[in-house]
Amino acid sequence: MPQAAERKALEKSLQKLNENMVTLAELSELAIRKAIDGLTRRDAEVAREVFTLDQEVYGLQLEIERTCIDLIALHAPVARDLRTVTTSLKITTDLDRIGRYAKDLSELTLQFGGKATGERADVARIREMADRTIQMVDTAIDAFVQRDAESVRNIMEVDDAVDRMHDEIFVDLVRRMEDRSLDTEVGARYILVNRYLERIADHAVNIGLRVVYMVTGDWLPRVRAADRVKRYPK
Amino acid sequence: MTRKLAAEKVSAWYGPKKAIEDISLDFEEHATTAIIGPSGCGKSTLIRCLNRLHETVPKARVEGKVLLDDKDVYADDPVAVRRRVGMVFQKANPFPTMSVYDNVAAALRLNGVRDRGKLDKTVKRSLEQAALWDEVKDYLGKPGVSLSGGQQQRLCIARALAAEPEVLLMDEPCSALDPIATAKIEDLIFDLKKDYTVVIVTHNMQQAARVADTTAFMYLGHLIEVGGTRELFERPRETLTESYITGRFG
Amino acid sequence: MAVLALACVALALIPLGSIVYTVVVRGASVVNPEFFTQIQPIPCSPGANLTCTQGGIGNAIVGTFLLLGLSSAIAIPLGLLAGIYLAEYGKGPLVFAVRFFADVMTGLPSIVMGLFIFATFQLAFPGFVFSAIAGALALAVIIIPFVARTSEEALRLVPGSIREAALALGVPKYRVTVRVVLSSAREGIVTGALLAMARVGGETAPLLLTAGGNSFYSVRLDQPIAAMSLVIYNFATTPYANWNALAWGAALLLVVIMLGLSIAARFLLRHRFHEQRIRG
Repeated sequence: MPQAAERKALEKSLQKLNENMVTLAELSELAIRKAIDGLTRRDAEVAREVFTLDQEVYGLQLEIERTCIDLIALHAPVARDLRTVTTSLKITTDLDRIGRYAKDLSELTLQFGGKATGERADVARIREMADRTIQMVDTAIDAFVQRDAESVRNIMEVDDAVDRMHDEIFVDLVRRMEDRSLDTEVGARYILVNRYLERIADHAVNIGLRVVYMVTGDWLPRVRAADRVKRYPK
Repeated sequence: MTRKLAAEKVSAWYGPKKAIEDISLDFEEHATTAIIGPSGCGKSTLIRCLNRLHETVPKARVEGKVLLDDKDVYADDPVAVRRRVGMVFQKANPFPTMSVYDNVAAALRLNGVRDRGKLDKTVKRSLEQAALWDEVKDYLGKPGVSLSGGQQQRLCIARALAAEPEVLLMDEPCSALDPIATAKIEDLIFDLKKDYTVVIVTHNMQQAARVADTTAFMYLGHLIEVGGTRELFERPRETLTESYITGRFG
Repeated sequence: MAVLALACVALALIPLGSIVYTVVVRGASVVNPEFFTQIQPIPCSPGANLTCTQGGIGNAIVGTFLLLGLSSAIAIPLGLLAGIYLAEYGKGPLVFAVRFFADVMTGLPSIVMGLFIFATFQLAFPGFVFSAIAGALALAVIIIPFVARTSEEALRLVPGSIREAALALGVPKYRVTVRVVLSSAREGIVTGALLAMARVGGETAPLLLTAGGNSFYSVRLDQPIAAMSLVIYNFATTPYANWNALAWGAALLLVVIMLGLSIAARFLLRHRFHEQRIRG
């Protein structure tokens, strides 16, 4: 009768990896929340905090990469362990990107300075999209931490809704810049905000799909941007 | 996939003790199938049932069918079966009183072939197939047991191949060898499956992952799971399989 | 401790040394060409006006070799076959029975074997009770169980992996046994045979009841035959000096032959270990 083995070294490394991943995920989510908050309230102080967070995110991501490589080299993980390690490796990229976009949003906040914000309506719509995006990020990260594949299995549909919002907001912004109801410079920046939010949502989708793979081994195909163009012909 | 060899509900006993139960497993032609599992799970017993070697042990018994090209080997002459299904053992066992040449030629000689030309050709071909020819071509007269461990094992592979089998069974062939000798034999297995059907029993999972197309996991005499090696190692279906291959039993 | 052990060894060697010394000293004087070619002389002791012929034990030498050769030719193949049965083919309680009786027989006093042949011949071939064939059979009966057991042991020493390797090549079992297993065990088997011959070469008791002894050269199977051990038995107890001398000579010769057989057996064993060198 074979003895139960604990694989102490492997377990310890996996545990450390998980702790770091959770920290990284939390940092990324915090970054994006703060970035949106700072943008909405035009708070330069909060915006600058995001820069620091982004640095931390980047540093932690590098350390996690190292940990994953060591795990592969030393322990030759298979099955669940393998999926966990490779998923972690990929997700750190998405989380890092989210942090980066948070930083970009904060830069826009600083650029807005004390300028007039424009009509409430634009901000409301964008605020709504931002909320949706943050929720997607939250769901995906939660799914990762809880190892829950079911909660993210239909994350792509939620993303479809966000994509539609993005397209509508874009059209609206362009229209209002054309009929001069919105300052061009402000409008241009809002277009960027719109874009960043949509990209963050995409990364949340990536994270969600990879969590499904990590937990179940199912490899769900992601609808790529090029195919999306086909879906919304203009 | 062409099914070259198949076990159909095979059970085997050593006296009163049941070693394997109701094993049904297909072995694809020109492919390598690995059987993994902890010590005592019955994997060696299973392959010894495939070439009817299990029954040569006193008080041993087999039930079920083993189909070679869809014909039950248990309805056939065991000696004829063993000519078509060759075997390499865990510890290299060259015949101690014979030279390298004689060892490889043994399969033919012991079955009556005397033609020196044919023997020479077969010996050379088999040693080349076993990637041993260059190392021993000037020492064919030396005793088989004077070679190194890894060479002896390749000598046994050459000896098995000289009988021109269709299937080659390998029972933990590398477990007594160092990493370089092991790598040589794994390369060999990779080449061999072009012409033969290979079944390898191993307790080294990485080895199964490296050489096998299909992997079967056995535990306590039962077949737990079988599948493509990649799938089995990436996302095994059974929890027991997962526990074993991630090294956490219990 | 080592000193004590050494002392015991020396003590154990004293009788052996003494025997060898005595035999050599007493027997050497008699060993000459006449010794090997002549038959036994008229018994006499050298006296004032009497010279004794030395004579020889030529007929006894021939007799011993004939008995040894014939009994070996009969018994060794039979013993070997029995050994093969015990090691390779035996199954079930019969094997244990055969092995047990073989072991018992190797320990039986040899005179009992002689008695067995004597009684059998009395009943079945009354005219041939004292004959070379009877003597050979008596020796054979001693050799068979001995060779059966030593062959079995030698065959058992052949690792099972060798048998399996040969079977796995698709070779029928009988051929595996004969051409692979036997050949791997050959040195052990030959050693056993040589030791068996060394043992019976000096047997006296069974020959008393069967071979009978013969004063003349004879190689006829149906007639009594001489043997060196019988010469020693018969001549040593007489008061005749020349016969006594011949007895010592026969003793020396026997010792030399038996020693030679044993050394040959040992030599074969040593040669075998030397060959199995595994590199790496």
